[in-house]
Amino acid sequence: MNVIVVLAVILFLLMLIVGGKKGVRSFISLFLNFGVIMFTIFLMTNPQWNPIIITIIACVFISCISLFFINEVNSKTIAAFISTMVTIVLLLFFIVIVTKYAMIQGFGEEEINELGVFSLFIGIDFTKLLASVIIMSTIGAIMDVAISMAASMHEIFNNNPSISRKDLFASGLSVGRDILGADTNTLFFVFFGGYLALLLWFKDLHYSVGGIINSKIFSAEMISILCAGIGVALSLPIASGINAYLLIRKSEKGQL
Amino acid sequence: MNVITNGLKKMTRKQILIFTMIGLCFAVSMLFVNNNYSFYEQSIAKVIETEVIETSGFTDMNNNSDRLFEQHIIAELKNGDYKGQRIHLTNEYSSSGAYDHQYRVGNGLFVSINPSQEGDSTLTGSIMNVKRDQYVLLIAWIFIFTLLITGKKQGFLSIISLAVNATLLSFALDVYITNPSISLVLICGISGIVFTIISLAIVSGLNEKTYAAILATLLGTFISLGLAYLVIWATSGNGLRYEEMQFLTRPYQMVFMAGLLIGSLGAVMDVAITMSSSLFALYEQNNDISVKALKASGIDIGKDIMGTITSILFFAYISGSIPVIILYLKNASLLGFTLSMNLSLELARALVGGIGIVLTIPIGLYTTLYFVNRKRARS
Repeated sequence: MNVIVVLAVILFLLMLIVGGKKGVRSFISLFLNFGVIMFTIFLMTNPQWNPIIITIIACVFISCISLFFINEVNSKTIAAFISTMVTIVLLLFFIVIVTKYAMIQGFGEEEINELGVFSLFIGIDFTKLLASVIIMSTIGAIMDVAISMAASMHEIFNNNPSISRKDLFASGLSVGRDILGADTNTLFFVFFGGYLALLLWFKDLHYSVGGIINSKIFSAEMISILCAGIGVALSLPIASGINAYLLIRKSEKGQL
Repeated sequence: MNVITNGLKKMTRKQILIFTMIGLCFAVSMLFVNNNYSFYEQSIAKVIETEVIETSGFTDMNNNSDRLFEQHIIAELKNGDYKGQRIHLTNEYSSSGAYDHQYRVGNGLFVSINPSQEGDSTLTGSIMNVKRDQYVLLIAWIFIFTLLITGKKQGFLSIISLAVNATLLSFALDVYITNPSISLVLICGISGIVFTIISLAIVSGLNEKTYAAILATLLGTFISLGLAYLVIWATSGNGLRYEEMQFLTRPYQMVFMAGLLIGSLGAVMDVAITMSSSLFALYEQNNDISVKALKASGIDIGKDIMGTITSILFFAYISGSIPVIILYLKNASLLGFTLSMNLSLELARALVGGIGIVLTIPIGLYTTLYFVNRKRARS
C-alpha cells in the first residue's frame, strides 16, 4: 500500500467523522484544488503563455472551489472572494518587482547536481514562474483571512446594524489581527519543517551566516515566505474595507 | 499635515520611543548591509557597466527553444587587496534563467580574481554568486512594517514569537549536531513543546484558554505524528521518494519525521487556539451555558475552519514543487514519474498536517471543556 493513499484515506475518514457533510466537501475541495494545480502546471509548460496570467486564472478557480463549494454562494463568500482576488492582484505587483531584482528564480547550486541530466534551457521564464509559486503558496492563508473576516464582520453587523462604516472597518481589523498572527505562524512553521534538511546541511557544511543569507536557495525561500506573510498582512485592511463597504451599501439600499 | 500632528499628539511617549527605535534599526541595518563589503572574506565587485556581446538561439534535445546571451561586465572591487580597481567579467545567461542571471548596473557579485599575468594590468575573474543580503533584509523590513501597521500590537507580538522560535530552532539544531546520538525527532519534539508554549503564551497570555490550547496542540501534533509513523512503518514507506530531499547529510527518514512535526505545529496551534478562545468566549458571555451547547458550537467552529486551514498547508507545500515539475516535464519525463519524484513528500506533509488539524478539533474541544468545567467548579 502506498503511504500517500493510506494517509489520504485516514484524512478523509477523519474529515467525515468530525465534519460530516461539510468535512466531505472540504476533502473534495482539496482534491479539486490539486487538479487545478496540475492543470495550471500543464498550461505553464507552454512557453507562449505568461505564467502570471495563468496563475491569476488558477486563483479564480481555486477561490471558487474553496469558498463557494465548501460553503455556498452568499454575501459572505462573495465578499471573501472579492477580497482574495484584490489581495492577490495587489500582491502580484509587489512580487513581480521583488523577483525581478532579487535574482532568486530557478535552482540554487546546492540543487543543481541532481538536475544535471536535464536541459535547463527550456524557454520558460523562471522569474515569472517564481512569482506564480509565491502567490500560490500564500493563497490558502489569504482565503483563510478573507473568509474568517467576512464571517465575523457579518456577525458584528447583524448584531449592530446601525454601526458606521468606519467603526465596522475598525472592528474588522481588530478581528483580523488575531488571525494574522496565527496564519503567519502557520506559514513559518511550514517553512521551518520543509527546510529542516537544508538548515542541517548548512550547519553540517559550516556555512557562514553570510554564506547562508546570500545563497540562492536560502534567500529564495526566505523571500518567498516573507512575501507570503506580507500578503496575509495586506489582506487584513483589504478584506476589512471590502466587507465594510459591501455591508453598509446593502443596509443603505435596504433603507431606500 | 494636520492629521499627522494630531496622530503624533495622540501617541504616547512609549509608542514614539518604539517607533523611533524601529526606524533607527531600519536605517542602520540598511546602511550596514549596503556597505558591509569588508565583512566578507570573498571578493565582492559592484557592476558599473554591462554590454551584451553575443546573442544566439538555442534548441535543446527536447525541442525547447531558448535564447542565450553573453554579457561583458565591468565591475569595481569593493574589498580586499584590489579594492577600488576594476575587474572584467563575462557572464552567460538565458532568457529562461533557471540557473543563470542577467546582471544589471549596481548588482553586487561575489567574484574570484584570476591571478594577474605579467604585463597585463586589467584584472579578470569569474562570478561565483550574487550578493543578496540587501534584498533579504529589505523584504524582511517590509514584512515587519506591514505586520506592524496592519497588526499593531498583535503584529509586533507575532514578529517577536517568530524571532524567538527561529533562534530556538537554530539552537536545537546545534544541539543535535554536537550530540548526534540524540534522536533528531526527540530534539524537535522537545523544541515543539517549547515553541507551542512560547507562541501561544506570547499571543494570548498565560491563562486557562492558553493552557487548553497548549495541551490540545501537543496532543494533536503527537498523535498525528504517531499515526504517520505507524502508516509509514506498516507500508514500509512505499510511495515516499526520499531522493527528492536533496540535502542529505543525515539519516533522511528521521529528518523527514522531524520536519513533519515542526511543519504541522503552526497549523495545529491555529486550530487549538481558535477552538479554545471561541469556546471560552461563549462561556464568558453566558456562565450557565450547558456542556452540550458548548460541544455543538465547538463542532460547528471546527467544521468552518478545517477546510481553510488544511488548504493553507496544502498550497504552501505543493506550490514550491511547481518549477521542478515543469523542468521534468519539459525534459520529456513521464508524468507519473515526475509527480512521484517531486510531490510524494510534499503530499505526505500536507496530509499529515491535515490529519493533525482535523484531530485537534475534537481534542481541542475536550481539553477546553475540561478547563471550562474546572473554572466553573471553582467559581
